[in-house]
Amino acid sequence: MGSSSELLLAADSSLSPLLLQAIVKIVVLIGGLMTAAAYFVLLERRMAAWIQDRRGPNRVGIPLTGIRLFGLGQPLADGVKFIFKEAYTPAHVDRWMYLFAPIAILVAALVVFAVIPVGGMVPAVPGLADGGQPISLVVIPGFDSGLLLVFALSEIAVYGVLLGGWASNNKYSFLGGLRSSAQLIAYELPLGLAILGVVLASGSMNLEQVIARQAQSGLWFVLAQPLGFVVFVIAAFAESARVPFDLPECEQELVGGYHTEYSGIKLLLFLVAEFLHMITASFLIVILFLGGWHFWGITGGPDAEIGWLQSLLRVAVLLGKVFLVILFFMLTRWSWPRFRFDQLMALAWKIMLPLGIANFIVVAALGEVRAWYDPKFADRFWEWGLALPNWVTLVLGWLAVAYSGTLVTDNRPQRTSRGSDSHAEGFS
Amino acid sequence: MPIVIVDGKEVEIDGQERLNGIQVAARAGVEIPHYCWHPGLSVVASCRMCLVETGKKDLQSGKITMIPKLVPACQTPASDGTVFVTESAAVKNARAMVEEDLLLRHPVDCPICDKAGECSLQDYHFQHGREERRADIKPFHSRRRSLGDTVTLFVDRCVMCTRCVRFCREVAGTRELMVAHRGAHEEIDIFPGFPLSNKLSGNVVDLCPVGALGDKDFLYRQRVWFMESHAHVCAGCSTGCSIDVDENQDRIYRLKPRENLAVNQYWMCDEGRYGWKHVHDPGRLAQPLRRRQGRAEIADWTALPAELDQRLRAAGGLTMVLSPFLTVEEALLAAKYARAVDAKARVILGAVPEGAGDERFSGGFTIRSEKCPNRRGVAQVIRGICGEAANWSDLLDSSPSSASGALWVAGGYKSDWIDASQAELLRAFPLLIVQDLFPSPLSECADYCLPAASFAEREGSYVNYNDRLQSFGWAIRPPAGVKTEARLFWQLSQREGMYRAETVRRELAEEFVYFSALSDAVPPDGIDLKLNRIAPQAAGATAEMGAIG
Amino acid sequence: MRPDDPKIRWVDEPKLGITGRMYLPMFAQGLTTTFKHLKRSLAGDVLTVSYPDQEPRIDAPLIYRGVHRLNRDEQGRVKCVACFLCATACPAHCIDIVGVESPWPDREKYPQSFTIDELRCIYCGMCEEACPVDAIELTSLYNLTGRSREEMIFDKEKLLSVFDATKDTEPMRSAPTEGTNA
Repeated sequence: MGSSSELLLAADSSLSPLLLQAIVKIVVLIGGLMTAAAYFVLLERRMAAWIQDRRGPNRVGIPLTGIRLFGLGQPLADGVKFIFKEAYTPAHVDRWMYLFAPIAILVAALVVFAVIPVGGMVPAVPGLADGGQPISLVVIPGFDSGLLLVFALSEIAVYGVLLGGWASNNKYSFLGGLRSSAQLIAYELPLGLAILGVVLASGSMNLEQVIARQAQSGLWFVLAQPLGFVVFVIAAFAESARVPFDLPECEQELVGGYHTEYSGIKLLLFLVAEFLHMITASFLIVILFLGGWHFWGITGGPDAEIGWLQSLLRVAVLLGKVFLVILFFMLTRWSWPRFRFDQLMALAWKIMLPLGIANFIVVAALGEVRAWYDPKFADRFWEWGLALPNWVTLVLGWLAVAYSGTLVTDNRPQRTSRGSDSHAEGFS
Repeated sequence: MPIVIVDGKEVEIDGQERLNGIQVAARAGVEIPHYCWHPGLSVVASCRMCLVETGKKDLQSGKITMIPKLVPACQTPASDGTVFVTESAAVKNARAMVEEDLLLRHPVDCPICDKAGECSLQDYHFQHGREERRADIKPFHSRRRSLGDTVTLFVDRCVMCTRCVRFCREVAGTRELMVAHRGAHEEIDIFPGFPLSNKLSGNVVDLCPVGALGDKDFLYRQRVWFMESHAHVCAGCSTGCSIDVDENQDRIYRLKPRENLAVNQYWMCDEGRYGWKHVHDPGRLAQPLRRRQGRAEIADWTALPAELDQRLRAAGGLTMVLSPFLTVEEALLAAKYARAVDAKARVILGAVPEGAGDERFSGGFTIRSEKCPNRRGVAQVIRGICGEAANWSDLLDSSPSSASGALWVAGGYKSDWIDASQAELLRAFPLLIVQDLFPSPLSECADYCLPAASFAEREGSYVNYNDRLQSFGWAIRPPAGVKTEARLFWQLSQREGMYRAETVRRELAEEFVYFSALSDAVPPDGIDLKLNRIAPQAAGATAEMGAIG
Repeated sequence: MRPDDPKIRWVDEPKLGITGRMYLPMFAQGLTTTFKHLKRSLAGDVLTVSYPDQEPRIDAPLIYRGVHRLNRDEQGRVKCVACFLCATACPAHCIDIVGVESPWPDREKYPQSFTIDELRCIYCGMCEEACPVDAIELTSLYNLTGRSREEMIFDKEKLLSVFDATKDTEPMRSAPTEGTNA
């Protein structure tokens, strides 16, 4: 970090290659993310339609030509519609907070991507690279506390939601905001615990290092720490407020949740931010547990020579994995019903938290055992062998959850035997 | 007191009363179905629908002896110890048989029959008829013929109850209708060349328990279930018949007599029955007009009352003419307002339309020649306020000399009531305000011409020729742009809230001896204001009894 | 209603077995259903009809409830007898009838005017249920559009013309009644 900032300062008349490189990365990333979000919305709508035996939006193509292109023009049309809608601000809102909320949530959702790698390295490109160094596909390369930044920024999202709910001055919005903050804070804990296992095992909070670690051993953390993976995926669903955890905006109860009072472009910012949360979660799942850009026999190890073919293959593998995870997110939406709020909280505090702690303890203990016998952390036997106790932990933890029956609750009105009898007597 | 037993229930009756089984059963809360019997007509016991079991309880031993056969309840007098059984199997079977027989020759054309919905045959079939038809009868078309200018006869719908025939003989006394042929071929008919033309002819349609007699004026106009009935009082003459105004969405479709034994019994005349057409006349005044330099312009009701008030107070003297079509409440509000504007204001009873003399029918029903509903009430209010009641001719005689200040003429007449020469006399007043239903020579020259309400739009009370006061609520809302006199005078008097007839009635009862019998709740058949003259102290108590009865 | 109301029939929730409480079978079940439908849709078997490109197939026109028509009798006169039963049954109050004495000797009453506000109508079919002479029927014309509100208020002539246009494809639902006009 120190050296790069010196280089930036050293640029006198023209932009230094590193600054230019950063700008190019930012532009490509934001452009790519926005486009991806738009087309993922289309994909989600088509998926929803297919799962419900419908066709989905398949009409909008090139305007004035009648060419339909399977509805690929839909995101553009949606965007134009949102942007040209009346920028309406209800009279009863807290104006500045109302405007600030969607901006805050979108900025936080975008900035997270500064430390998320979208591939490995690519070879130097003239004019962008400094002295023939390969270019890292992350906006801030070598940022050691990347995971911390991700967490810090994703917490900002809570502010956006809470502000939106509060500033709208509407009971449904407010309830949505409250629910959202309670949910995000509750699931932050298991999320962190699941990541701790990964951090312990990889020895770094730098996301590039996490991928490198998995690529080196060939043992993805999903295989090494299955319980951590399960906890992380569930918590990530909850953090991105997707079904079955979409209580902050469940239409049947809260109209639109915290964005009930929003419309037009401000609503668009909220919706994009929500989609970006899902994309972020998918990236994190892939990077932390599914090996990032690594795939056995295709992408090579972290120390392999960096060629164009190899680099693009790695990008493709990473984005392919992310795509599949997003598909899973979408399938989930139409497969399971929403949790009740008490179940949601019970899941976080009574199940996810203990399981996360168990995972963390087991991983830490096993790491200690391994450090004892394999101080260099190079032996493949220990590497793969220690996965077994983790699987045992998963099975045991799961069975413990099942037998404790924590989620099986009955909150219907209870009949009181005394009450019904006395009632019957009263009328006989 | 004699005691009659109906279905095991003991009913006490007055020893002076002459009641039949149907009437006694009604007091016990039991309805005995009947077609031919009507309380206002003689008993013929021909329809056999009211067959019941009857007997006599021996007053000494308490033993009940029943008559072995069923008897018509309408023909069986109730006396001490008479027993009626109305729900036995034999009675039910008899009713079902009568219904079945009537329907054998009845065209089941209820969808196009105007009586459907208020038809006794229909109702009794559901209540007392057989569940299924045993005869295979195809629906057919009823023959119809005109009986006169007002009534059409649907021959095959008739159940031969002969109520209409008896009405023409006993009440109207004109005997136009008769039963032609014999047995199953019996038909109601007129003698050729002698149509049903008496002035009570419309009543036969109300009397008909089925759809055999149709009122030509109402036929096919509206189905009865769409209409709402509002208890009202006829404004045709000073008899003041109790009527029901049947309307749908503020449009009157027919008037029907309402039972009031003290006034009209069960009848009303055709003049009153069809006398509602002016309410929906397109020629009615529907906007307040202000005339400036000979040119009329439409005024706005929101500012108009204040403007009128100011002009009247500035006029220096007020003469107010109250027509006999106003309710007593309206007359009181108007007279009090006139006196508030000008302490020496003259309040005058408006022109009283006169007919060619009373018409009395053999059954006692009388059409009065005084063709307005409330001359007595308005005159009494004026007398109460001013001490003496000047009338219209007094004004016409005196006006040319003493025309100063303002003249307010509250009209509300159904037809022409003033000619050009009379109007010319009244033009002398510097400020002329005319309130009327239709344009007249007087309204043509008025400074302010205000639309008046028709009788169906009014709320208040009328006093008939016999000092009987009857109260009613509005039946329809006035057309847009019309403000009822009551609401206008209420507003001009600066009273709180909306016009409430009860409040004004309370004032009347407190302030005028003539109205002292008036109580808050006027019973449906009205209050006899003569009560106070007989026994002023007991008036309140008697009125209360009337309310209970 | 209180929880101890004797009219409440209490149903015990079925107890979840261990497989149910492990959530995995439900997980698989949900996903299976999703995939089943996804597969079916991707193979082209969807329920949506692409309307302007593809006309909807109304399998049983006799039970479809589209635009109204006023049927004619054998002599080509309007079958309606102006009994107002359809107007009575109509929950949307969209039928307005003016009944007068009919000009024909064999009929007593007929509609001088018969108006349906097609925009106010909710197409419930109560009018044809109520009609004693099967004069009013709902056809299978589904693509009813207009450019003004006035245009969508159908009078007697228009309703009769709907009958003329549809009588061949959709025969009257009742056999002609012999001489019954009521």
